[in-house]
Amino acid sequence: PLLALRVVNLLQERNLLPLGPVTPPTPCLPQDLQKINCHPEVFRSTLTSIPQTQSLLNKAKLPLGLLLHPFKDLSQLPVVTSSTIVRCRSCRTYINPFVTFLDQRRWKCNLCYRVNDVPEEFMYNPVSRSYGEPHKRPEVQNATLEFIAPSEYMLRPPQPAVYLIVLDVSHNAVETGYLDVVCQSLLENINALPGDSRTKIGFITFDSTIHFYNLQEGLSQPQMLIVSDIEDIFLPTPDSLLVNLNECKELVQDLLRSLPQMFGKTMETQCALGPALQAAFKLLSATGGRVSVFQTQLPSLGVGALKSREDPNQRASAKDIQHLSPATDFYKKLALDCSGQQVAVDLFLLSSQYCDLASLGCISRYSAGSVYYYPSYHQQHNPAGVECFQKDLKRYLTRKIGFEAVMRIRCSKGLSIHTFHGNFFVRSTDLLSLPNVNPDAGFAVQMSIEENLVDMQSVSFQAALLYTSSKGERRIRVHTMCLPVVNSLSDIFAGADVQAITCLLASMAVDRSVTASLSDARDAMTNASIDSLTSFRTSVLTIQQPGLLAPACLRLFPLYILALLKQKAFRTGTSTRLDDRVFAMCQLKYQPLAYVMLMIHPALYRVDDLTDEGALNVSERTIPQPRVQQLSVEKLSRDGAFLMDAGSVIYLWIGRNCNPNFLTQVLGLPNYAAVPLNMNMLPELDTAESQRTRVFVGWLREQRPFFPILHVIRDESPLKASFLQNMIEDRTESALSYYEFLLHIQQQVSK
Amino acid sequence: MVLLTMIARVADGLPLAASMQEDEQSGRDLQHYQSQAKQLCRKLNAQSPNRCTLEAGVMSFHYVLEHGVCYLALCEAVFPKRLVFGYLEDLQTEFHEQHGKKVSTVSRPYSFIEFDTYIQKTKKTYIDSRARRNLGSINTELQDVQRIMVANIEEVLQRGEALSALDTKASNLSSLSKKYRSDAKYLNTRSTYAKIAAGAVFFITLIVYLSCVLLPFITWRRTILLQFELAPDLTI
Repeated sequence: PLLALRVVNLLQERNLLPLGPVTPPTPCLPQDLQKINCHPEVFRSTLTSIPQTQSLLNKAKLPLGLLLHPFKDLSQLPVVTSSTIVRCRSCRTYINPFVTFLDQRRWKCNLCYRVNDVPEEFMYNPVSRSYGEPHKRPEVQNATLEFIAPSEYMLRPPQPAVYLIVLDVSHNAVETGYLDVVCQSLLENINALPGDSRTKIGFITFDSTIHFYNLQEGLSQPQMLIVSDIEDIFLPTPDSLLVNLNECKELVQDLLRSLPQMFGKTMETQCALGPALQAAFKLLSATGGRVSVFQTQLPSLGVGALKSREDPNQRASAKDIQHLSPATDFYKKLALDCSGQQVAVDLFLLSSQYCDLASLGCISRYSAGSVYYYPSYHQQHNPAGVECFQKDLKRYLTRKIGFEAVMRIRCSKGLSIHTFHGNFFVRSTDLLSLPNVNPDAGFAVQMSIEENLVDMQSVSFQAALLYTSSKGERRIRVHTMCLPVVNSLSDIFAGADVQAITCLLASMAVDRSVTASLSDARDAMTNASIDSLTSFRTSVLTIQQPGLLAPACLRLFPLYILALLKQKAFRTGTSTRLDDRVFAMCQLKYQPLAYVMLMIHPALYRVDDLTDEGALNVSERTIPQPRVQQLSVEKLSRDGAFLMDAGSVIYLWIGRNCNPNFLTQVLGLPNYAAVPLNMNMLPELDTAESQRTRVFVGWLREQRPFFPILHVIRDESPLKASFLQNMIEDRTESALSYYEFLLHIQQQVSK
Repeated sequence: MVLLTMIARVADGLPLAASMQEDEQSGRDLQHYQSQAKQLCRKLNAQSPNRCTLEAGVMSFHYVLEHGVCYLALCEAVFPKRLVFGYLEDLQTEFHEQHGKKVSTVSRPYSFIEFDTYIQKTKKTYIDSRARRNLGSINTELQDVQRIMVANIEEVLQRGEALSALDTKASNLSSLSKKYRSDAKYLNTRSTYAKIAAGAVFFITLIVYLSCVLLPFITWRRTILLQFELAPDLTI
């Protein structure tokens, strides 16, 4: 804590970034509790020391909230099969490492403080085969674990894995060539789809009419059934539109092979997305499951048709941005119906023109689906995009999935949760309905302190996710986190987690942009940094010095706020397509913390002089760890090469006078002039430098579930502008430089 | 139409496999029937009849109990019993063959949920009207359909008493009443004796009283009379 409160004068110290990644602060708990506390990648709080009263929290001017990644792929997950799941009698909290045992037979809940009895079966520890030590059981030794749920936790028998693919086959769609990629990917991964022998699959294609496919076992080839009455959609046959994958595999494979040719010459330009979604809902409403919709243009026909609302002249508007909210509530209503029947809709938008993602995105947002966006997707013109789509599809089809899930977040008496961020539907005060849960979704909640937390050393939070696995097993994943309670402002500041605060502010700002206006949201973010630094200055600092003073743990806060203001979602004055902006907003709310931070503040590394000094040794590979640089053109030296990791995209910038060694050894090119304008791959050369660079890039890529495209940038590259837009510390014609921003804040703080 | 099929272990009611009617048209609220089905599986035990129909309003539950596993189906009351029991027997044979040995070892609910695919297929064979014509074989197997006991589901769930329990109670009752009768006789006799004894005591007391009281009185009267006779000239 002392280090965290070290005062930094932001105006003087230029180099604030740590050498490596920013590490989350450690809560000030006794070591034995902190050792078993929940991992920060799964469960994180904006303030690792919880204020004792709401008034204290208000004085600190920092938001209080939790960020979770509950279904993250974990390498180690203890699974408990027990006939009784021990829960508190009044608040129904699961027993966890932070309860207190009064004696061997009674335990005190750490959320509501009620004393409960330890059931007889719990006294026996099957792991150590000992009796009488309930505190050694795995439920009390692990903050993250999974229970196999008994039948009381099921409203109906576990559903099978059901997948429905809905494809746009209008002329525009077929022209982009995406159909080949999707069919190919499905053919390759058909055996890797999560499920068991009950897995079901179905297909719907649509243009101005809806096409269903009869895949009944015994047919010699798939049969297409066309429904042209899109005003009143019905299912042409009662069954065999959704078939058992194992039994009808050959028919499914036949269909996937013939689909691209079937529509190769189509001249249909209309697109009836709304009726197709209604048909999908009808088909899946009996069982629940996942719908994957692929769309390439604005829906023009039938219910849910949308008009183009974007005004290209307003893209670079310095004032407010319009049309951030949905144009129709058809998609939201349908999403809520889907959520009620345990159907989730994932949307893939592959379009070069405006598609009103603000309205279409609702279908995924409320049904716990995910949105994927590939602007300007085209087979020939954008081969890098094709590769990205292929890799993302592979991950999407093969990743772990949970069905008919619900999640509840509980916190200690005195705290209450009031706002939720993420893709789901809030069913009652704190029950989140998630028809599908996937390992790439993040959630955030905001909390307030209802009653003063006096006499409490610590508070706990528990997130419980009840879901059906793809193999028909009902499971409960429980994460519990414990944090200390403090009653002084300096302790609160010492425990502030700047990355979590930034992410929560980003989610809050997205909500504000849609309900109020974008400029409101921007002002709110700037004020957040001003207010918290003012509060630090007036309440915590004992000696008043000139300059802009911040505690070490919050030294990056103004930098992150500036990065948010310049982020695609919130920037003004720079030409931004409306769909790009809306997608950036969706990602800020949906992605887990680590990837949001990369989106907001990309990591810049110098790569032309990679060494093995300080390298990581992971599974026999030596991964170089270059130092993270500031995002300023100042740092780009003409005779070097720099790699910028922006989460979903990686830029490799080559300086004009770049070290010729780098060019030959890593890029395999004789000189700078030979660098092509659209290079996307590092050639596999047999040199040490090439090896190191590729290992480094590979390491960055495998840490995330989506595939970032690599772009090699030189002076005349078309993507140079987007690369430079990420240089947030620099001044642009519409935004302040970092130093100017600090001066602006200082002016406000000193008032 | 069979709306719900459930296969559970009788010993503890653990569900092993199940299938609910996947049809938009059925749309009825099956939650209520599902919970009744679960309760029923828990209430059944080794003493329950191994083939039974339970009426629940417009629907009926039918079950087959074999090798410690209960096969339960819910359908409309008008649906022919012959078909349902044929269907349940078919499920029973196949399930026992595939999973019979593992039933006592599992602890997770719905461990054999993958059997659902077979249930769906079998359902289609029995319910599809065209296939009915091919089901002549059912006739020979189900001669004792009439003998399958019919009961009301509410009674089974609420009273939950097996007939054998009633039988024991009834025989208990008869022996108790016999005992009561002999006790009553004994008491009767005793009370008669008591009455006689009381009467005798009263009589004896009366005699004693008469002899002790009356005799001296008679003697006294005679004395007084004699005194009056002996002194007649005492008056002037």
